[in-house]
Amino acid sequence: MERDDAWHLTDDLMVEHGKGDPFAAAIRATRMAMIVTDPRRDDNPIVFVNDAFLRLSGYERNEIMGTNCRFLQGADTDPSAVRQIREAVAARRDIAIDILNYRKDKTPFWNALYMSPVINEAGELLYFFASQLDITDRVDAQMRTQNEKEHFEREVGKRTRELTEALAAKTMLVHEVDHRVKNNLQMIASLLTMQTRAIVDPTARAAMKTMLTRIEALGTVHKRLYQSQDVQRFDVAEFARELASDLVRGSGRTGIRLRFDLEAVEVPVEKAPPIALIMNELITNALKHAFPDERPGRLSITVKPDGNYFEIGISDDGVGMPREVLGNRSFGKRLIESLARQLNASIAWQPAGTGPSPGTWIDIRLPRETAGSRETT
Amino acid sequence: MTEPLRVLIAEDEALILMQLEFLLEDCGHAVVATAATAGDAIRLARETRPDIVFVDLQLRGGSSGLDIVRTLRDESDVVLVFVTANARRFTDDFEGAAGVIAKPFTEAVILDTMTYLEACVRNPPPGMDAPLGLTLAPDYRAHLESLRA
Repeated sequence: MERDDAWHLTDDLMVEHGKGDPFAAAIRATRMAMIVTDPRRDDNPIVFVNDAFLRLSGYERNEIMGTNCRFLQGADTDPSAVRQIREAVAARRDIAIDILNYRKDKTPFWNALYMSPVINEAGELLYFFASQLDITDRVDAQMRTQNEKEHFEREVGKRTRELTEALAAKTMLVHEVDHRVKNNLQMIASLLTMQTRAIVDPTARAAMKTMLTRIEALGTVHKRLYQSQDVQRFDVAEFARELASDLVRGSGRTGIRLRFDLEAVEVPVEKAPPIALIMNELITNALKHAFPDERPGRLSITVKPDGNYFEIGISDDGVGMPREVLGNRSFGKRLIESLARQLNASIAWQPAGTGPSPGTWIDIRLPRETAGSRETT
Repeated sequence: MTEPLRVLIAEDEALILMQLEFLLEDCGHAVVATAATAGDAIRLARETRPDIVFVDLQLRGGSSGLDIVRTLRDESDVVLVFVTANARRFTDDFEGAAGVIAKPFTEAVILDTMTYLEACVRNPPPGMDAPLGLTLAPDYRAHLESLRA
């Protein structure tokens, strides 16, 4: 009967038995690095090593036969991995672990170690069998990926912080500018108010007063814009309510009732000033001409959407605008026409008695968005 | 008209202060003092005992209208009204002020506000709605409602 350890003696002795053993031949010739150690001998020395292991580790057979495998460890080998292997040996169980090992020339390689005990029928531990696979490329790739991931996460975090700070700075700047604009508009109104008080000539005084309402209309636009959450959109309907209320109050007229028929219409912010100025002119005109001699009356303001357009209607039940006001080239009328062109708006003027209401009736039809601006949502 | 209201204006912008003075006098009210800093406003309010104090938020020397309101709200039954370009910061908590007028205001808003405040002070509760340009504090609105009940 062949001795139990005959196959590994073949390494040294080239005995006939082992040489003819096809399994031993396969182990010797495989590209997978393999060793066998003998735990029954002192310090669990290597008792077999195949050529693939010698190629992997760079050692000669006679340098490592009979020694413990710990020569594979080096400076950066993880002590906890070593401990896990030691514990598996002590507990006689198999273990699969990736560990950093070193060749004879001190170059490191990642070793996918698989080690298992060989136990005979009587339950005696005879050997440990271990295979080694160089997975340096795979581990390097993993580490590179991990490093890149961490690098990107750091960069993203850094960039996010920068953008958050930039946004906070920008928001503060916008608030500061907004504050200054509002104060400056107030100061312009203050100057006009005070200058007007010093003017005796009624015509000049009325002209100054008209200028003041225009400035105030722009001021109201700006005030409403920055009170809303969305500084990009402007609600025409709510503006109309505030403007008309202000103008009627500012006219000093007490017998004029306002009637509102308002549906929310939002327009891009750049349209707000021209719309505000047109409405200011038309309502001011109505207050000036429709109700002469303190005649009481009703002024109706309509804002309603109509598909891709919306309509602003201003009508009164007064005497209507005189022909010369409708027809002439007053500054107010030219202002309205220029602003309407800017807005691509059409204006229908109905003199008193010809429209749906007894007095003057004016209907402005405007596109809700200009070309190239945001789609209506 | 009832007895004119006595008003103190805390405003560091000279032009806006002048305009407010003119407008208040146009309505027949008396501007009893003006101040450009919170400290002056508090001192003058204690001396002159006004009915109304108009309070700008950002005052001279970095002082804040908030300090005026926080100090005076507990000292007398003066009606405190912010007049500020920072009106958006007041939605629920008005720090004890009755309301806020957002800048830029129109003449009409100041005239309407004075009519309204006159009723609030001389003959509460007022028999009219607050003007559009004056946003009332929830607490003050509740106070007026309690008088109505």
